[in-house]
Amino acid sequence: MAFLDMFGKQKEIPTATRADDRLSLVLSYQRANIDEEKLKLFQGRLIELCDEFGYDVVGQVEVVPQSHERTTIINASIPVRVKKDTLL
Amino acid sequence: MTHKSIAITVTSGKGGVGKSTTVASVGLGLAQLGYSVCLVDTDIGLRKLDLMLGLENRIVYDLVDVIEGVSKLRQSLVRHKEYPKLALLPAAQTRYKEEVAPEQIKQLVDDLKREFEFVLLDSPAGIEGGFRNAIAAADRAILVVNPEIPSVRDSDRVIGLLESANLKQIDLVVNRVQPGMVRDGDMLSVERVQNHLAINLLGIVPEDKRIIRSSNTGEPVILDNKSMAGKAFSNIARRLTGEEVPFLELEAATLITRIKRLFHIA
Repeated sequence: MAFLDMFGKQKEIPTATRADDRLSLVLSYQRANIDEEKLKLFQGRLIELCDEFGYDVVGQVEVVPQSHERTTIINASIPVRVKKDTLL
Repeated sequence: MTHKSIAITVTSGKGGVGKSTTVASVGLGLAQLGYSVCLVDTDIGLRKLDLMLGLENRIVYDLVDVIEGVSKLRQSLVRHKEYPKLALLPAAQTRYKEEVAPEQIKQLVDDLKREFEFVLLDSPAGIEGGFRNAIAAADRAILVVNPEIPSVRDSDRVIGLLESANLKQIDLVVNRVQPGMVRDGDMLSVERVQNHLAINLLGIVPEDKRIIRSSNTGEPVILDNKSMAGKAFSNIARRLTGEEVPFLELEAATLITRIKRLFHIA
């Protein structure tokens, strides 16, 4: 039976790439001492900063820590549009 | 032989990754190369280096006895019978890590460095007092890591702590690598581990059942000439002396793997 199973068995999906991705995320959070709450506060301050500089935030703000060597790079993606009153 | 004495702490964060196995084999490897080596077991309360070296029946005094002045340093060292250049300072079995302070370990290691060219400190698992004792006196560190997420994450934390303790030279040993699993995409490769941790790679040690045999007999696996892990530890010892040694080819292509590759199924 086990011998027959060898032919019918589907190959499992390799897991090392998944482990690699999970590690990247875990290490970037650990190195920068960042948690979800801190990221939310960060996002809030970035929105305030945009407002101060004359921009409206028009979509989802994303703050993602990423590791490069032993340094953490905080990537922020902020979709903005110039405020109408600033254009006038 | 002229060689500046050096103290190296072997650490990991996570337990059970092969620190003591590494210390025993690399220490013996250095002694085989003609260096005087002292292995210090800093895992007070949970000693094991004596077992790894087959010296468990010859212990009279231990590290805590030396620190408390109960015994002299020289009389507490247990010399290896076959390799008298190798000595062990065992950990106390019935005491607690908190009974020893980092400054006391530093003083002890400074004394050992006057007599030995290499002092290898076997660090306990974790990042508490015992770990701080083990790094207090070190000139450099070897981080033993298994290619799995918990071990890499803990090691990354340990690197941060070592760097804050001003230990700048940290080398990586990736232990228990299973080349077949790496090839099948089910184990982190050494390259991936090294990319994450971003420190110098000192050695790659394959998973090896013969390590169990060596722990059963009290003869470090480096003495087993059938063992790939033993060969890997021997290379690590040579690299520590400054010799340039290529990394082992862990996976010899067998007939079956060659046939599988021919049909693109491996």
